[in-house]
Order: sequence, then structure tokens, then C-alpha cells
Amino acid sequence: MTDPAAALRRRSRPASQARRRLPRAAEQFSGWAFVTPGAVIILLFGAAPIVWSAIMSFQRSNLLSPSTPYVGLRNYRQLAHDPIVGQAIQHTLIYTILFVPGTMLVGLFLAVAMNRKIRFISVYRTAAYATMAISTISEALVFIWLFDPSYGLVNYFLSLLGIPQQQFLNSPTEALYVILVMTIWGWTGFAVVIYLAALQGVPQSLTEAAAIDGASSWATFRRVTLPLLSPASLFLAVWLTINALQLFDEVYLSTQGGPLNATTVLVYYLYDQAFQDFNFGYASAIAYVLFLFILVITAIQFRVGRRFTHYRS
Amino acid sequence: MIRTFACTSLAAALVALGLAACGSDSGSSGAAAGSIQIWEGYTGPEAKVFAHLVSEYDTQHPGTKVTSLFVNNDNSLQKVLTAVRGGSLPDIAYLYGSWAPNVAQIPQVVNLTKTVSRPGVNWPDFWVGERDVATVNGKVIGIPALVDNLAVVYNKTLFAQAALQPPQAGWTWDQFSADARRLTDAAKKQYGTAYVTPGSEDTVWHWEALLWEAGGQLLTAGNKKAAFDSAAGLKALTTLRTMAVTDHSMYLDPTDSAYGNLFNSGKIGMLVTGPWDLSTFPNAKYGVQVMPSFAGASGGHQTISGPDNWVIFNNGAAHVTAAQKFLLWLTAPAQVRYFSLRTGDLPTRQSVTDAAGFDQQMDKALPGVSTFIANLGNVRQSRPQIATYPKISQALGTMVVSVLLGKAAPQAALSTAAQQVNQILANPNG
Repeated sequence: MTDPAAALRRRSRPASQARRRLPRAAEQFSGWAFVTPGAVIILLFGAAPIVWSAIMSFQRSNLLSPSTPYVGLRNYRQLAHDPIVGQAIQHTLIYTILFVPGTMLVGLFLAVAMNRKIRFISVYRTAAYATMAISTISEALVFIWLFDPSYGLVNYFLSLLGIPQQQFLNSPTEALYVILVMTIWGWTGFAVVIYLAALQGVPQSLTEAAAIDGASSWATFRRVTLPLLSPASLFLAVWLTINALQLFDEVYLSTQGGPLNATTVLVYYLYDQAFQDFNFGYASAIAYVLFLFILVITAIQFRVGRRFTHYRS
Repeated sequence: MIRTFACTSLAAALVALGLAACGSDSGSSGAAAGSIQIWEGYTGPEAKVFAHLVSEYDTQHPGTKVTSLFVNNDNSLQKVLTAVRGGSLPDIAYLYGSWAPNVAQIPQVVNLTKTVSRPGVNWPDFWVGERDVATVNGKVIGIPALVDNLAVVYNKTLFAQAALQPPQAGWTWDQFSADARRLTDAAKKQYGTAYVTPGSEDTVWHWEALLWEAGGQLLTAGNKKAAFDSAAGLKALTTLRTMAVTDHSMYLDPTDSAYGNLFNSGKIGMLVTGPWDLSTFPNAKYGVQVMPSFAGASGGHQTISGPDNWVIFNNGAAHVTAAQKFLLWLTAPAQVRYFSLRTGDLPTRQSVTDAAGFDQQMDKALPGVSTFIANLGNVRQSRPQIATYPKISQALGTMVVSVLLGKAAPQAALSTAAQQVNQILANPNG
């Protein structure tokens, strides 16, 4: 009446299942236990502020008094009517559009120049990367003096060329560009390192093959090296854009948004609203607009970038 | 199996430890009632002298333990705001006076009105400018921690080179402008004076002192409307403009950080600044004089002060009592005198300056500081104690900078700023 094999299967199934379930539960538990500290930290310092600032962007909040009435979309509507927000967006965009390609070009140029076996090459490479190691505050102080209208070296060199004295950080039309130069200098080391690493990954066989086929060195660079650098370029473009849209330190240290709001970028204005005027609700709304900005621009960069990026595999 | 469980429990223990550590950090409320925590931003000699005073207090009061935590003054309100939400406020914090109207909105701030009227405290002994800044809507929310004011620091060597007499106590802004012109030498890249132009409160308060001297007011009584769009406001703004735009005798410093080095290097003849800068001029042979006045104006010689406060937060009655006791000790004449003589900071109490030989002792520690002490008597008014002041300050900053950069005429800039300020006052939450 019974199939001994089936009976065996019936009997053995729960046993084997139990055997399988027990270690899995324990493993799962230990897995979670290991992940928990990291997850807690991320949730606490990453996710919680993101959610909280989202809530705050719909409130009138100065963080001082406990009363934080909900005001709906009032903060966001106010954004549309705030002339300084318009200016700040404009400054942020101008800065980003010039900063990202500028840093990439300077970085690429230096990386190509240093991608060869010459004497003291490690000294040059260290020097290029040093711009990353130098703290922003020293960088800002040095540039403040370089670009000082009366005592700065830049105006001195311009005067040798017969160019009249410029006002630089005192001039509403020039200050943003001084900050641009300052930050390109500061980020060059980063771009150089990324491009140098990518250049080392370009197989010599390909450039040699191109040379044998009679391609000029420019054509080789243009048609072989540059496409092979495209993953690095995409990475740099995205990374530098995100950082450019979040420009703050250099502005805070050199011009505090001035003169006459000429260097007020979005993050600086956000800081100003939050910590000078105690408009935390409004500042949170600005932060969310900036977040959307970054999200959209990064998405576009990935989409467009994919078309021009060649991954060797 | 055993290994897995060992690891698991280790990880779990770490989590528990981490959480426990977070928990114990969050607030002095868990500490013994006898111990109080202070947030202060002293560095250099101030830090040393403060630490000495704290340890002296601890020895004199065995029941109490005062612990102090360094918090950069610029960031202390940000940290206090975080602590308000986290329920981990210190018992006492050093906070800038300009924040007072906003600080007063924090529910945990202890009302000290009764405390300062206790016998022995002698509240009127604190300078009027200090008391004004410690009081918001008639409520005392802090005890003065620091006082300063603006006066003119001038380079004696440059004055001698230009064959100019050193400024006298009764001088006027016309003389200041004329001296600045004479001290300016484009070939040597030498300027008569300087002005900070980041458009921040540092830009604004220099101008406010001129406004008061010219007989003007910032706002109408009751802080209802702008009052600076007046003849006095115009005079104050035009005086600065003449030096910056017409005479080019004024070095404009948008970074708020260059003027000190330039004065120390003998490139600037006169600076309107505070006592905190004196120790940064080791290379310049300098003198100090009170600010000039406007000839014929009702304001006379005035100056502006930016006092800071010690603020107490409520962490339970025992803590509040201990904190009050400590602060009253710290700000009593003997301790104020001790602190000033060793740091060069102006004494926060008037009685301390009356003692014979005090000025000379101060001048020995920091040459020229006695003029700043005497100048405390010229602090006759203070900035409006209202929560919207930071916004008003921004409008005024833009006004001053646009005039000094030659981008706007004084009257037009005044009208625009007055309009903005009226809007801010009418709609404080806008």
C-alpha cells in the first residue's frame, strides 16, 4: 500500500527543510546585524534630513520657535517671485556651463602632457594633484590676493600688457569669473588624476596601429585616444556638474555672495536664507528645487553621454 | 554555527553600544545637577584665561562642576538650533548679540529679568549698549559677555610723512575726508582709509554709526517704518561716497579680510574698526582716536557697539540655578577685571574702568585700547532689537555697496532701501 520511497520522501522533507531553514534564518539575522550599523547611520544622517527638509519646505519654520504652521506651496510660490532666486539660478548656470568644460579641458591637457616618461614626472604629477590637497580656505586667500585690484599680481601682469586695472572681486561683472578661475584651479588636480588613469588604460597597440596606418598624432588622439577616454569624461562631467551646482565654499570665503549679489549662487542663497534670515522653510524649498535641477541635469548627461561613451569590454 | 552566532552577537552588541553612546551624548540633562555645560568660542589668550576662571570657580564651589565645550562663535547658533530639536541644549551658550531677537523665540531660553535685578548684581553697571542687546521686548534674555565699539585707528608714520597733525578728539568727518585725501598716494598704492564691502552686517554697522552721528535714525519709534531715508542718511552715505568714488582715497575690501594686513603693512592711513583688530597690527605704529563727528549735526560723537550675550537654557530648575550662579560670578566686577587685564577685551562693566590705574594697565597689555574703553561712553543707541533685523541689514548692505561701487546715487539707493525695509517691516514673514 505504501511506496517506501515516497514515505521516505515524506519523512525526510520536513527534516531537510528544517535543516535548510535554520541556517538561513541565522545567516539572515547575522547579515542584517552587520548591515544595521551602516544602515542606521545612513538613515539617520542621510535619509532623515532629506525627508525632514521635504516636510519643512511646506512649513513656515525658523527652527527657533516650536510653531511651524503648514503653508502648503507658499514657499515654492515665493520662489517664483523672488528676483534673487532668478539671479542665483542664472549665476549657478553660467558658472556650471563654464566650470565643467573648463576643468575638463585643463585637466585633459595637463594629463596628456604628463602621460609620458620624462624626468621628474612624479614631481609634476604630485604638483598637479596638490591643488586637490590644498584646503579651500588657503586657496581662497591666495586668490583674493592674486586678484586684489591694487596689490594683486594679476593686475600687475595685465598692466605689463597695457591692460588697465581691473576691479575683479569688487566688480559685479567680474567677480563670478574670478571665482570660476579659482575653482577650476582647485579642481584641476582631480581631473588630471582621472584622465591620467584613463590614459594609462589606452592600449599602446591601438595607437601604434593608427600610427602605422598613417594617422597623424592629432588624428590618433582625436579618433583613438579621446573615444577611449569617454567613460572618464562622462564620469568627470557628471561629478563636476554636481559639484558646480553646489558651489558654496569659495563664495562664502571670498565674496559672501557679493558684490551686489553678483556671486550669489543657489546654495549660497539657501545658506543665507536659512542661517542669516532664519527662513528654514523657504531655504528647504530652495534646496528641493536645486535637488530637482541636479536630478534632471544628471539624467540628461547620462542619456546624452551614453551615445558618446565607448566602453571597452 | 558558533562562529556565526558569535559574530552576530558582536555586531548586535556594537549596534547597542553605538546607540547607547548616542544616548549618553544627548544632553547635560542626564548629568548630575551639580554640573553645568557651557558652549563658548574662546581661542588664544581668551581661552586660557576663561579656563583659569572656570577652574577657580570649581575650586571655590566644590559642589559644582563646570565643563566647557569649544564651539566656534560663528556656528554656535546653528548648533544651538540643532540642540533645540535634539533636546540636548547646553546650560549656557555664548551667542552673538545680533541674534538676540531670534534667540528670544527659543522656548527653552531662561528669562533673566528677575535674576539681574537681584541685589548685588548691579545691572546698571553694564553699559547701556550691552543691556539693550541683552533685552528683547522688555525681557532680559542674556548677560553681557563681550562689548566693543568702533573708533579710528590711524598710522602715525603715514600721518608724519604726509605732514598731518594726528587727529584730535573733536575732529569732524570733513577733516577725516581731507586727511584721507592727503594720505592717498596712487604711486605708492597707499590709501587714506578702507571700507569693508561684502554687503554683510559688517558693511552696514559702520554706516549706521555715521547715520546716528548725523542725527538720523534707522527706524521710526516702535520700529514701524524706515526712517533712514533722511537728510542725515544722505549725509552719511554721501560722506562715504566722496571718499570711495570721487577721491579714490578709500580701499574697498569685498572680502572683509584684506584691510588688516594692508594697514599693518602701512598701506592704509586710517581704519574705522574695533579693539579686536589692534593685536593684528604689530608692524604699524598706530594711534587710536574716537570717530569724527559731523560739524553742526545734532548727533555729536557717537559710535556703535556689537555686544554678545551669555544665554541660559532650561535643563531643569537645578541646572538653571547652578548656571545663574556661575554666570553672576563670571560677570561680577572682579572676574571682569581679571579677564580684561589678561585678554585686552574691553570690560563689560563700567565700574571696572573707574578703578585708578586700570586704563594704563590695559594700554600696557594692548596699546591704544584705553581710547576704546573711553569710547564706550559714546555708545548711546543700539540697533533695533527685532527679529527681522537680518533682512533689513541685507537691504542696507546692498544700499551701501551700490553707492561705494559707484553703481547708484546716494539718494536713489536710500529710497530703494527704504522701500525694501518698509516692505520687510509690513510683512515680516514674507
